[in-house]
This record gives sequence, structure tokens and C-alpha cells, in this order.
Amino acid sequence: MTQPNAAILDVQAISISFGGLKAVTDFSLSLPPGALQGLIGPNGAGKTTVFNLLTGVYTPQTGEILLAGERLNGQKPNRIAASGLARTFQNIRLFGDLTVLDNVRVACHVRAETGFAAAILRTRAHYGEEAAIRERAHRLLEIFGLSHRATDLARNLPYGDQRRLEIARALATGPKVLLLDEPAAGMNPQEKMALADLIAFVRREFGLTILLIEHDMGLVMRICERITVIDHGVTIARGTPAEIQADPAVIEAYLGAPDPPDASAEGP
Amino acid sequence: MTKLLQTLFDGVAVGSLYALIALGYTMVYGILQFSNFAHSDIFMTGAWIAYVVSAAAGWAVIGGDTPPLYSGLVALLASMAFCGLLGFGIERLAYRPLRKAPRLNVLITAIGISLFLENIGQRKELFGTQPQKMPQLLPDTTLFTVADVNFRIVDLTVIAVALVLMGVLQWLVFRTRLGRAMRAVSYNIPVASLMGINVDRVISITFVIGSTLAAAAGFLYVMKYPGALKQPADSTWILLGLKCFVAAVIGGIGNVRGAMLGGVLIGLMEMFGAAYLSPHMRDIYVFSLLIIVLLVRPAGLLGKATVEKV
Repeated sequence: MTQPNAAILDVQAISISFGGLKAVTDFSLSLPPGALQGLIGPNGAGKTTVFNLLTGVYTPQTGEILLAGERLNGQKPNRIAASGLARTFQNIRLFGDLTVLDNVRVACHVRAETGFAAAILRTRAHYGEEAAIRERAHRLLEIFGLSHRATDLARNLPYGDQRRLEIARALATGPKVLLLDEPAAGMNPQEKMALADLIAFVRREFGLTILLIEHDMGLVMRICERITVIDHGVTIARGTPAEIQADPAVIEAYLGAPDPPDASAEGP
Repeated sequence: MTKLLQTLFDGVAVGSLYALIALGYTMVYGILQFSNFAHSDIFMTGAWIAYVVSAAAGWAVIGGDTPPLYSGLVALLASMAFCGLLGFGIERLAYRPLRKAPRLNVLITAIGISLFLENIGQRKELFGTQPQKMPQLLPDTTLFTVADVNFRIVDLTVIAVALVLMGVLQWLVFRTRLGRAMRAVSYNIPVASLMGINVDRVISITFVIGSTLAAAAGFLYVMKYPGALKQPADSTWILLGLKCFVAAVIGGIGNVRGAMLGGVLIGLMEMFGAAYLSPHMRDIYVFSLLIIVLLVRPAGLLGKATVEKV
């Protein structure tokens, strides 16, 4: 049973190594319901690996992942999606050969009650459900300003629309927790502002808890309530945006340590 | 004129058979990116099951009563059901454990399955090594004649059944929830899985559908050519499978509509070549068409040039 104030997503010391490389070491995270947390770190720090661990692409070698009290590690990605954890991708991974509408609809299936057999037999329950899925998909497209592109193939969308469609598709799986992997990558400042508003809106509208990877510090500092910083797979700082900005370990990770005074003297 | 129309009709009839088999190759390739070379043996099994069922029902007695009208339907459904299960089993036991293995391993496994099915089929407990003659489950009469072209019931049935099955498949893939999931899985398996699609189930269903279509083609083939049941390991089955694989490649492998188009094209090519050039070189026409298409459009007629998936 989960207490009202218990974390909706509780990650306890998960680790994974590939060969000799420790990609993520003892990563812990506790997201209260409704939180919007940032996950930042230099390139190659292991941020996306954390997302892959959470969503079942990789199985953690140690540790526990609990979503609303349900143990997720070791489950298949589609089971994890069904449990209520959805994500977007750093480099866009839409179903390019499907229409915009179908991209969203296919992600709605996981919440569908009737199975494939009903789809083939065309039962009444299936019809009703298909109509509900269609309506839900259209509503999501409307929220993301993509209604007019519903029948286009996803790969023909402009870049910014593809990024928004990824979020719409993730929401279609009906998540409790949404993982956004660099949603603002490649966007201009205006688009980033609009995206920040959109994230705030869907968070309220769908009662979401959000974990966000983002390189744009301005965006992270503005919208995240708490931030976790990792470097080389190790968590080096946790706190509010203000605390993080002042943290020497974070500054060191991003800018490198100041040279020891005698380092330059020993040069060749 | 008569010859032209007759050849056209025969070409479409044979071509729709090829199309049914080509669909199985193309669907599996579309989702798993490997050529299921055991597919021709599913087709072979379908043909033999149709015979076994007819023999068990007493319809294959030479000089016996004319089989009842429903006999064709019974044999068709029995062989589709059996091959559907067979396809499911093959995927579950042989291919699924290799899902993350290199493509070459899966390909070799497919060849192994193919040899296994052919040789186990030769067991006397199963189909045996004796050539059999498929009984005429459909009346062997000419339904009507237009401009001296004979429209035989068998050929019309072949075309009708193939059209209906392809129509159902078309609807299934492009109009239903299952089809949406299949297309998503075919585009990107890991992402489909992350979006909550049960990939294993979709792949199983794909094998079942492909195998039932092959079984239907096997049944229709022996209806059209009752003497084709020489041996389960006879090379005609392999050659047929190969031709249908060529049909899938010509249409653009992975593309459902392409497989239908490729099948019909190959049927026409073969029949026209046999009628107007030389009947002894019919296989050569098919493979020449393959070479030409690959030279002009390497991705096949309806295939898209492959772009790197990001």
C-alpha cells in the first residue's frame, strides 16, 4: 500500500555496468506525486541510461525501482508502460511510416480493455473502445496543436512538431510518471518558452509527475523544483535549482576542476 | 486474341497464388528483417494436410463418390488451422530464442527448420514418400466461356479465395488496432515495446497469419495441380517458395501491397513467357524479371529506398 505522501516513483540504488564501464552507479531518486524534477549532467554522464533502466530497456544489476509501490525492475518495457511509466527520446523515435493520429492511437492500445481477437471479431465493446481511443487521440493532438496534421505521416512533420508529437504519444499510454529526454533539444528560445508552458499545462491537466533530462540550464532552472546532477554515472548533487547552481561539485563537473597551482609548472 | 486472354487469365490465377505465399515472406521480413526460408515448407505442409484430410474423410478414393460440395471448404480450413499452429510453434520454439542473435543465425535456423519439415514430412506416419493425387474437391467444370476462353471453376476459386484473403489482410493491416500495432512493431521494435505494445504477441500473430495464408495457397495449388503431391521433400516446393520470395522482393520486401503486386506480376510473366516464348524456360522469365527490377529499382517496385533509422 502506498501512503498519500509516499513517493510515486521510488528508485533505490540502481546500477548497471557494461563490460568494465560503470555506466550508472547507485542511482537513487524519490519523486513525490506531482513533482517536476530535473536530471542533469555533462554529456555521457549516464542520464539516458537512467531512463533506459527505468523503462526496462536495460535491467538494473542492483537496486529496486518502485512505481506506486509496484516493482518494475526485470519487467518488459511494455509491462512497464502498462504500469504507468512513459518516455520520450533524445533523438526522435516516432513511427515514421504511421500517421500522426496512428502514432498516438497505437500508444493508446495499452489502456485498451478489449484484445486483438475482439478487434478481428468487431464486437460491440471493441467498437465503443475504438471510438474512445480515437477521441482521446484527437484530444491529445489538439492540446499539442497537431490536429491539422493528423493524417500526415509522422516523418513528414517539421522538427518541432515531431518533438511535441513524441510527448503526445507518451501521454497516450496514460502514464503516472512521464520521463522527458531533452524535449527542448534543437528548439529556438520561443519554442522553448512555449514548450515550458506546455509541460506545465499537461502536468496539471493529467496530474503527472515528470522527470526531465535537459541541457538548457535556463529551462531546467526555471521549471524544475528539484534537480539531481550525475556525472560518470554517480550522483554528485541534489537540491533546488539555487542550491545546484552554487554547488562546487556541479561547477567542477561542467567546467573541470581548476588546475592545481603547480600543474602548469611541470609542463613539458 | 483467345490465346492472349487465356494467358492473362491463367497468369492472374497463378499470380494470386504466388501473392498469397509472398505475403508470408514479406510480413515476417517487415517485422523481423529476416527471410523465413521455412515458409515454402509451411506451404508444402498446407498442401499435404489438405490431402490427408481429404483421404481421412474418404474423398480420395479413386472411382469413389464425388466429394460433397463443402469438402473443399473443410480441407481449406483444416490446412489453414494446422499451418497457423505450425507457424506459431516455429516462431515460439525456433525464432524467438534468437530474437537478439545476429540475423545470420536466424537465417540458418530457418533453413534448418525447412529441411526438418521436408524430411519429417517424408515419414510414413506423416505424408510418406508415395506420390499422391489430390482428389477433385471442386467440380472440374468450365463455369462459362468468353471469347473461347474457358473460365474453370478451379481457377475462379483460386482467384476469388486469394482476393478475399488479401482483402481481409489489407483491412487487418491498415484498418484495425492489430494492424496499427503490427506497423508500429515493423517500424521499430524497441520503441513499440516502450509504447506498451506486446511485441511478442504481435510477432506470433504475424507468423500465424502468414502461415494460414501459405496454407490456403497450398490448398489452392493442389486444387489447380492435383498431381503436384509428389513428395514433401520434392524440389518443386522449394522452387515455388523461391519464386514467391522473388515476388516479395520485386514488390518491395516488407511491403504488403508490394507482395500482392509482385505475385501477380510474376504469375503473368511466367504464363506469358511460357505461352509466347518457350514453355521450358518459365523459371528463367521470373528470375530475369527479378534482375531487371533490382537493376532499376533496388528497393522493389513499391519499396522505399532504405534510410538509416535513427
